[in-house]
Amino acid sequence: MGTKNRDIAILAKDLHVSFLIQKHGVNNMKDFIFSFGITKPFEKKEVLTGLDLTIYKGECFGVLGRNGSGKSTFLRTVAGIMCPDKGILEVNGNVAPMMALGVGFEPELSGYENIRLLGTMMGKSKKEIIASEEAIRDFSELSDADLKMQVKRYSSGMMARLAFSITVAKTPEILIVDEALAVGDIGFREKCANRITEIQNEGATIIYVSHNLNELRRICTRGCYLENGKITLVDEIEKVIELYQERTARRKNRLR
Amino acid sequence: MNDRYGKQFFNLVYVLALKSLKVRYKNSVLGFMWSLLTPLLYLAIFTFVFSRVFPDIKNYPLYALTGLIFWNFFSSAGTQLISSVVEGSGVLKSINIPFIAYPAGYTLAQVFNLFLTFIPFAILMFFFGYSPSPALIAFPLVLILFVIFTFGLGLFICAFNVYFRDVGMLWQALTPALFYATPVAYSGGRVPEAYLWILKLNPLYHFIGAFREVLYYNTFPSLQSWALVGGMSLVMFLLGYFTFKRLEPGFISNF
Repeated sequence: MGTKNRDIAILAKDLHVSFLIQKHGVNNMKDFIFSFGITKPFEKKEVLTGLDLTIYKGECFGVLGRNGSGKSTFLRTVAGIMCPDKGILEVNGNVAPMMALGVGFEPELSGYENIRLLGTMMGKSKKEIIASEEAIRDFSELSDADLKMQVKRYSSGMMARLAFSITVAKTPEILIVDEALAVGDIGFREKCANRITEIQNEGATIIYVSHNLNELRRICTRGCYLENGKITLVDEIEKVIELYQERTARRKNRLR
Repeated sequence: MNDRYGKQFFNLVYVLALKSLKVRYKNSVLGFMWSLLTPLLYLAIFTFVFSRVFPDIKNYPLYALTGLIFWNFFSSAGTQLISSVVEGSGVLKSINIPFIAYPAGYTLAQVFNLFLTFIPFAILMFFFGYSPSPALIAFPLVLILFVIFTFGLGLFICAFNVYFRDVGMLWQALTPALFYATPVAYSGGRVPEAYLWILKLNPLYHFIGAFREVLYYNTFPSLQSWALVGGMSLVMFLLGYFTFKRLEPGFISNF
């Protein structure tokens, strides 16, 4: 693959990220007050333990791994929500996270109001939001009346349409897709996949997390396998999927 | 770049405040009138129960009202602020926005709400015989200091509430106690000298006092009370802000 001389979008070197977990359960407020700090009743648990990864500009990169292997933590660190404890993380470009269905929506407000709310949260200016409204309406195929309705009256498919449309209305530099496409009807799913290809053609980098192997095969070219907070393999997507299948199969055998 | 970031932040706070207000009043027919009901009910009860008990307080309804408006702001802003980050956890763990935007937005919403309630309350004050005086100039400043104080205190408790939800419960349980420890319905002058110092440990005693100076006694607060009120809001704000910032990195593990 001709990845040698390309610009780097994301560079992680020996990346350590940890979570705080409570040591003795919740009733430890007394200790907490007396120690006055977050060190005592909480313990650090490393989720990413020395992760090395390079993702190049303009590629669509698949991330595979079993539940709890650190995929979401890695994505959150890339999005700037979590801070690394140790190591280097370079992110070149603004990151648009594709959120789980309905996150950030205010059910009591209308579709239009939610467009403004979510757009602002994603760092768009008022002007950009107003400019994007039409594109969002067109892409989501929701009618003007739909968008004037409270979001709590939407079906889950409509919500997914709106959420996806808001995220991709403006081509981001780095797009994170975390299992968000497994919703909506077939027509819309195809539309989403096409839009992702389009975004990629416009030069954006896409990080794609999914357990849907066919989707990964179709969209991604390269990928990595994450295990216990480390990268065990970075290769063409087909090889990574092979490893993933092998690992899950072995686990199944062991359980048998 | 920095300027754009700042503008974005304030826009975000504004939009969150608007959202909070809209959500609150969307499904109720009477809308914001409801936020008047509680203080008005209190006012009626106090006037009925206490105006005979405290015959030394001239124009008792006005006296109670000038305390109630701000107590009402304090208690509702406090409750909203404390739960703000936990409520926004779904968003805060998916999008990279500063955590502090949530409590700031909710505080702003409460300030808007306070302004809205001022209109009927002002009418009521005139009805009870209030006449504006030059001391009114000092009112915005007292109000700003009070909002800063409330924000700081809210941030402080909010940050701990993310780690231990019992903190919010504890606050809810303590609020009524704090109400009776603040001279909203009674006057500090009735409290025996020997116990007055306990009342004076309560920061709200001094804030409500300053509001009364301006709106009830029609005088400028003394230099001493300015210093006290100003100092308390500054200290509380810094304490709240830095505690929040210090505890912030662990928020995401506790959502």
